[in-house]
Amino acid sequence: MSSFSRSAQQWATFARSWFLIDARMQPPGRIATMCAVRLQGKHKPIYHALSDIGDHVVVINTRHIAFSGNKWEQKVYSSHSGFPGGFKQVTAAQLHQKDPKAIVKLAVYGMLPRNLLRRTMMQRLHIFPDDELPDDIRANLTEELPQPREIPRKLSEYTQEEIDAFPRLWTPPEDFRMK
Amino acid sequence: MAARSLLRSAWTSLTGFKLKTTCPNLQVHQRTSFPGLPALSFQSRGIRQVVEKKEDKISMIEGKILEVPTAPQPPNPTAKCPIYRWNLQHKYNYTDVLLLSQFIRSDGGMLPRRITGLCLQEHRKITICVKMAQREGLLPDHKPKLPEGHVPKRPKPQLNRYLTRWSIDTTKPIYKTGLKWCKRRMPVGDPILKNNVRYGVKPLYTKQ
Repeated sequence: MSSFSRSAQQWATFARSWFLIDARMQPPGRIATMCAVRLQGKHKPIYHALSDIGDHVVVINTRHIAFSGNKWEQKVYSSHSGFPGGFKQVTAAQLHQKDPKAIVKLAVYGMLPRNLLRRTMMQRLHIFPDDELPDDIRANLTEELPQPREIPRKLSEYTQEEIDAFPRLWTPPEDFRMK
Repeated sequence: MAARSLLRSAWTSLTGFKLKTTCPNLQVHQRTSFPGLPALSFQSRGIRQVVEKKEDKISMIEGKILEVPTAPQPPNPTAKCPIYRWNLQHKYNYTDVLLLSQFIRSDGGMLPRRITGLCLQEHRKITICVKMAQREGLLPDHKPKLPEGHVPKRPKPQLNRYLTRWSIDTTKPIYKTGLKWCKRRMPVGDPILKNNVRYGVKPLYTKQ
């Protein structure tokens, strides 16, 4: 802002902010794109690849992530330990049960640029499977980002007035039972 | 969402209109589930509630006529399928639970087509939408009743999902995805619903 002093303006442009993303009922890929953009610093107009201008991102509720389609059963994460017979292939569901943070972590890791700065950017990503955050991270948070996917409402979340306002599309015959 | 807003406007415009039935014989009940008969209004007796009153030596059994409020008129009354009658052909999605819940039983199963009056394509679309909504957990009260005292052997993993086309137990992992030009993709949603409205931004990948 033009009303700030020069030192305050400098501080505001180059400060490292802490973003919070809630991953409940969200697809992990969309969460990962939001994280990767902010970890690289590409959301800032002063971006340069060498400037190390990325921010911290905190992702919570990764245990309640939602995959579209049948990806929980179809998506396979592969790894090789380097030793013969060390090729492991695990489905997304199995990996999530073993470690609820791994899916988001691998997704963000694959979206960052393949250079030496990737590891430092991953150190600035903080993933938590549930709502609980350590107090020092909670104190650092500056902004919460909106969720990428709109969560649809369940039938139990509709009020009775809304259910009554929706007209009946078809009338059942009088001799029809068992509904 | 579009369906809901469309129908709410139709409903609120007709709430002021009420048919008062003083004489029971003149109650008009328009039958929409029999396509063979012409759309005439004929006299019929509605559903009656049996009420028994017992005095000293006299017992009275009365069939009380229930006051059923008249439903608002659909915008296109001449069509056979209820969705075409309300002009909702491509305007619903798997998230429109208020619409889908009208065609399912209490245990989650679909009602037969001869009862609801749906045409074949819409019946299939609604079946697929209902399955996707159930897999997402949007219909928590329409689940099959388990026998009492039933304890599952292994606790099922509670995984959130949406737009799942196939059943959970039937899908197998894709161990070899293939090269970029011949990759085995993981489809989302269903191609039958490709003309229906989508409440998101990106198009879905439905090819197998």
